[in-house]
Amino acid sequence: MKPKIAVFEFSSCEGCQLMFANLEAEILEVLGAVEIVNFREIMTEKGDDYQIAFVEGAITQESEIERLKKIREQAKVLVALGACAHLGGVNCMKNYQDQEEVRRYVYKERAEWFDTIPARPLSAVVPVDYAVPGCPIDKKELLEVTKSLLLGKKPSLPDYPVCVECKMAENICVFDKGMTCLGPVTRAGCATICPTFGNKCEGCRGLVDNPNVNSHKQVLQEHGLSVQGILNSFRMFEGYLEVAK
Amino acid sequence: MPLKVIEKRDVEPLIRHLMERFQVVGIKKKDGKNTYGVIESPAELRLDSCATITSPKKYFFPQRETLLQFAVDGSWEPQAVVEAQPRIIFGMRPCDIAATWMLDMAFSEVNADANYLEKRKRALIIGVDCKEPCDEYCFCKSMGTLEVETGYDLFFTAADDTYIVRTGTPEGEALLGEWGKAREALYEDRVKLRAVQREKDERFKEALEFDVEELPRFLEDSYRSLLWDVLGEKCLSCGSCNLVCPTCYCFNVLDEVKLNLSEGERYRVWDSCQLEGFAKVATGENFRERRGDRVRHRFFRKGKYMKEMFGRFGCVGCGRCTRACLVHINPIEVYNQLKGGE
Ligand code: SF4
Ligand code: SF4
Ligand code: SF4
Ligand code: SF4
Ligand code: SF4
Repeated sequence: MKPKIAVFEFSSCEGCQLMFANLEAEILEVLGAVEIVNFREIMTEKGDDYQIAFVEGAITQESEIERLKKIREQAKVLVALGACAHLGGVNCMKNYQDQEEVRRYVYKERAEWFDTIPARPLSAVVPVDYAVPGCPIDKKELLEVTKSLLLGKKPSLPDYPVCVECKMAENICVFDKGMTCLGPVTRAGCATICPTFGNKCEGCRGLVDNPNVNSHKQVLQEHGLSVQGILNSFRMFEGYLEVAK
Repeated sequence: MPLKVIEKRDVEPLIRHLMERFQVVGIKKKDGKNTYGVIESPAELRLDSCATITSPKKYFFPQRETLLQFAVDGSWEPQAVVEAQPRIIFGMRPCDIAATWMLDMAFSEVNADANYLEKRKRALIIGVDCKEPCDEYCFCKSMGTLEVETGYDLFFTAADDTYIVRTGTPEGEALLGEWGKAREALYEDRVKLRAVQREKDERFKEALEFDVEELPRFLEDSYRSLLWDVLGEKCLSCGSCNLVCPTCYCFNVLDEVKLNLSEGERYRVWDSCQLEGFAKVATGENFRERRGDRVRHRFFRKGKYMKEMFGRFGCVGCGRCTRACLVHINPIEVYNQLKGGE
């Protein structure tokens, strides 16, 4: 029997789902090995008998908590799709602002209709089996994770920093161009796409298992970032971690 | 081996000539820095710039390389994949020539590695002499790699309007013979070569405060030194130092299954002993969990183990690791501190 897959979204820009939707042809036709039963982005009919759930988005409302728990109950395997689901992502920036103000800013005159709670990754609510990190996710990695699941293998993410991919690509380090970079503590797997195009790594894939954050902060300071600047760069994607401290 | 002379203005035609039969690789500019790359037109080649980000080892031992193709269900025998093409590395520095010798040992002594050896066999190395140190990070003179006697097919030294060319192998000699525009060196050329070499030697300073032959002993005495902990606190475990090093040859072997889920390939990628996962084994144990232990391991490899294994140091003093290290871990300083008994 083909494994049944469902894709769900919470608070997010839907960019990662879109990557998934663009892949659909590749997954269905090339693999011919899965059946998608629930995916709002590409279909109207819905099925609730899935085994693998790909879940996009952060949790930012009480009601989302219940919905996510239901998905967890049904799914044998739950995969966090993208930085919002994996880390809380950019949504967590709001955790550092006044919640009431944020609510009014986002929902305007309808603010009363919506509750809002500090943003959090899926893993803060339910156990998450695997993640496809990134903002947005990397197509190739999504395929790798899917292939592993279908072959009954554990998907594994690189546990080395982006610098490794930079050196393999023989990139000029952006620190040498007067920028600062979160690459030394960020999990690789994106083929160092930002530094390859001359930009700094913003850390969208999350930290490696055991980052040397203290030493890295000193590097950032040495290259001109203030304490606040350092905090801000980490809050872009790692904001939730700080709350957890 | 005979000594030849080539006029500098004839180098471009020589490269063009070589390009007809070989892929010519050499130092090119990338975003203001130097890297080894495939030469598309002779004017791109920078014969007198040094300090490339990574080393030319990538032409013998690529960052990622397919080793074999297999069927997931084992329905056909795995097929070995060995890729190689005729190639000339034009302008390899003395330090990298010394490093290539080290790789040759590593990939042939214990296990003959077909993927490496086939590429190596089909490549010719044209070395070029350095005129002055790359920067404050290189210490080739202290490591004894500023002069190389072997390891090249041809070796160019600039002298006035000419290159004086040492031939290192019959293949190198044949290459010039078949091109036909190199002349035999005269007595004056030999005198000139010696003068150039003397002047060059004066421009390079000794960076190590001791005779490098003492290095293995200093390391041995420092196994429990606190210095490793201090360096471990700084080290980001980013792996850059290994990945840019011309003598590092560790790799990881992985499988990738194709989209059809029935075939796949086994490939290898560069690995680094500074990464946390490097010494982790299947049971989850990690032999070098502590950062300081990993830093120590790297320096012991370079300054002791490889010397014991192959008779030469695993560090050729190119300085690449220091240039790449965001926390300024510099072998010159580390080794000098060890000597001071730290
Ligand atoms: S650009 Fe960033 S990721 Fe790349 S080597 Fe430099 S610090 Fe590391
Ligand atoms: S380089 Fe950094 S910010 Fe860019 S995609 Fe990779 S992890 Fe994300
Ligand atoms: S380059 Fe520096 S920080 Fe990175 S692993 Fe090597 S010693 Fe550590
Ligand atoms: S250890 Fe550093 S200086 Fe020595 S050969 Fe390697 S990169 Fe060059
Ligand atoms: S390290 Fe020495 S031999 Fe190597 S390129 Fe620099 S100056 Fe030349």
